[in-house]
Amino acid sequence: MKRANFRRGLRAWWYIVLFFLYAPLAIVVLFSFNSTRTYSTFQGFSLEWYFKLFANETIVSAIYNSLTLAIVSSILATVLGAVLGYGMFRYRHLKLGWLIWFIYLPLVMPDIVYGISQMTFFVQIHEATGLLKPGLLTMIIAHISFQIPFVALLVYSRLLQLDPLLFEATQDLYATPWQRAWYFIIPTLQAALISAFFLSFTLSIDDFVISFFTAGPESTTLPIFIWSAIKKGITPEINAISTLMIGAVFTAAAISYAIQRARLASNPSRK
Amino acid sequence: MSSLLAKRKSASGPGHWGQTTHLLGTIAPGILWIVFFLVLPSFYLMSIAFMSNGPYGLPELPLTLQSFRELAGFGFLGWSPGNLYTLARSVWQTLIATVLVILIAYPLAYYISTQPASRRPLMLLIVVVPSWTNQVIRAFGWMNIMSPDAPLSDLAASAGLISSEMGLFPSNFAVVLGLVYNFLPFMVLPLYASFERLDGEIVQAAHDLYARPINVFRHSILPQTLPGLMAGTVLVSIPAFGMYVIPELLGGGKSMMVGNLVASQFAEASNWPLGAAAALIMILATLGGLMVLRRLGQRLGGGKEVVL
Repeated sequence: MKRANFRRGLRAWWYIVLFFLYAPLAIVVLFSFNSTRTYSTFQGFSLEWYFKLFANETIVSAIYNSLTLAIVSSILATVLGAVLGYGMFRYRHLKLGWLIWFIYLPLVMPDIVYGISQMTFFVQIHEATGLLKPGLLTMIIAHISFQIPFVALLVYSRLLQLDPLLFEATQDLYATPWQRAWYFIIPTLQAALISAFFLSFTLSIDDFVISFFTAGPESTTLPIFIWSAIKKGITPEINAISTLMIGAVFTAAAISYAIQRARLASNPSRK
Repeated sequence: MSSLLAKRKSASGPGHWGQTTHLLGTIAPGILWIVFFLVLPSFYLMSIAFMSNGPYGLPELPLTLQSFRELAGFGFLGWSPGNLYTLARSVWQTLIATVLVILIAYPLAYYISTQPASRRPLMLLIVVVPSWTNQVIRAFGWMNIMSPDAPLSDLAASAGLISSEMGLFPSNFAVVLGLVYNFLPFMVLPLYASFERLDGEIVQAAHDLYARPINVFRHSILPQTLPGLMAGTVLVSIPAFGMYVIPELLGGGKSMMVGNLVASQFAEASNWPLGAAAALIMILATLGGLMVLRRLGQRLGGGKEVVL
C-alpha cells in the first residue's frame, strides 16, 4: 500500500518536472502565434510575426551569420580536435598527462571570463597590428577554441575502445602514416567524427556569451539579435524566431533518436 | 612492453626523427590553438587586474593593487559593500540552486531508472532536449511567464507574495529559478547513470533489516549514487557560479552575480582593471570550488576518487 503511494508520487513528480521543463518553451511557441502584442492573453491565431520576420533583413543576416559561424568553426574544430585526440592516443605512453590541463581549461572556465579575455586580447592585437578585427573571424577563432576539447576527448575515447592489435597490423603491412590515416583511422573513426561535428555545431549554435563578447558590429548572430531585442523591449518577432530555433532543436533531437533506434534495431547484439 | 613496442617501431617505422615530427604534427596544432587563443588571453586578462585604470577605462602602467581595493569596496566616496554583496550573493544563489537541483533530480533519476529499459533513452532525451535550446530563449520564456501581467504573477500577487503591479522578475527568486531550470539535466544524467548500476540487493537487505526509509537512503542508496551526485554537483555548481545570462535577464541590478560585475566593468562602467580583478577572483573561486568538491568526494567516498 505504502509502496504503491510511493510509486504514484514518483510518477506525479515526473509529470510535474516535465511541466516545469516545457512551460517556458511552450509559452514562447504559443505567443508567437498570437495576433496581438500582449502577453497576458491569447487573442487569436496569426502568422503575422513570421511574415514580419522574413521581411526583416537584420534577422535574415543573423541567420546567415549563425550558420556560417557554426559550420566553419565545426569543420575546423573537427579536424584540429581529431588530430589532437589521435596524438593523445598514440603518445599516451609518453608522460603527457599535463597536456590534459589544456583540454580541461576551456571546459571549466566560466563563459564570461572566457569571452572577455578573448575580447580584450583581440582588441589589443587589433590595435597593435590591425589584424583580427572583431567580427565573424574572431568569433570563429573563439568557437574553435572551445570546440577542440570536446572533439579531442570524443575521438580519444573512441580510439581507446579499438583493439590495439589493429594498429600493429597496419605497421606489419608497412603502411605509411598517410596510408594508415586514409585507409584505417578515418574510416574507423567515421561515426565518431560525424558526431564530433554535430556536437561542435550544437555547441556553436547554443553559445551566446562567448559570441557576444567576440562579435563585431556586423556579425550579429541569432542569439545576439534576440538578446538585444529583449534588452530594447520585447517584440513578438522574438517569439517567432525563438520558435523556429526551438523547432530546429526538437527536429534534430527526433532525427538523432530515430537513427539511434534504427541502429539498435539492425544490430541488437550491440547494446 | 612499451619498450618492446618502441623497438619494433624504430625497426619498421619512420625512425626517431619521424616520430617526433609525427608527435608534434598531431598534438601541436590543437594545443597551440588553445594556448594562443585561450591561455594567452586569460593570462593577459589576469595581468590587467594588476594595472592602473587609464582615463578611457583602458589598462595602463604602473602596476598596482588598486583594482583589488576597489573590488573590496574602497572607492572615491569611501567604503561601500556593493561588490562584496555581489560576490556573497553569487555563492549563496549557487548553493541554493544546487541544493534545489539535487532535491528535484534525485526522485526523477530514480523514477527513470525504474522504467522498462526500452523507454529510458526516450525519457532521458525528454529531460535533456529543453537544455539544447539557446539559454537566451529559455530565460526569455521565463520572462514571459513571470512578467507583471502574466497569470503566474497575478497568482503570486493575490497570495500576497508580491505587490500587484510588480512581476515575479526581476528578483533573486527569478534568478534561482532560472539557474535550477538551466542546470537540472546536468544533475539528472549522472544521477541516473549511478541509479542504473545500483545494486538493488543492498537496498533490499536494508529493507529486510527493517531500516527506516531515511536510513535505507543514507546507508544503502546514497553511498551507491555518490559518484553521480558528486559529478552532478560539479556540473551544476561550477557553471552556475559563473552564470551571466540568467542574472542579467531575470535578475536586474539588485540580483547581480559576479559574472555581471565583470561584464559591466568592460561595458558600461569601463574599468578594465576592476573587471579583470573580479574575473581573477572568479577563476580562483572556480578552481577552489573544484578542489573542495574533490576533497568532499574523497572523504564521503571513503578515500576513493569520485570526482574528476
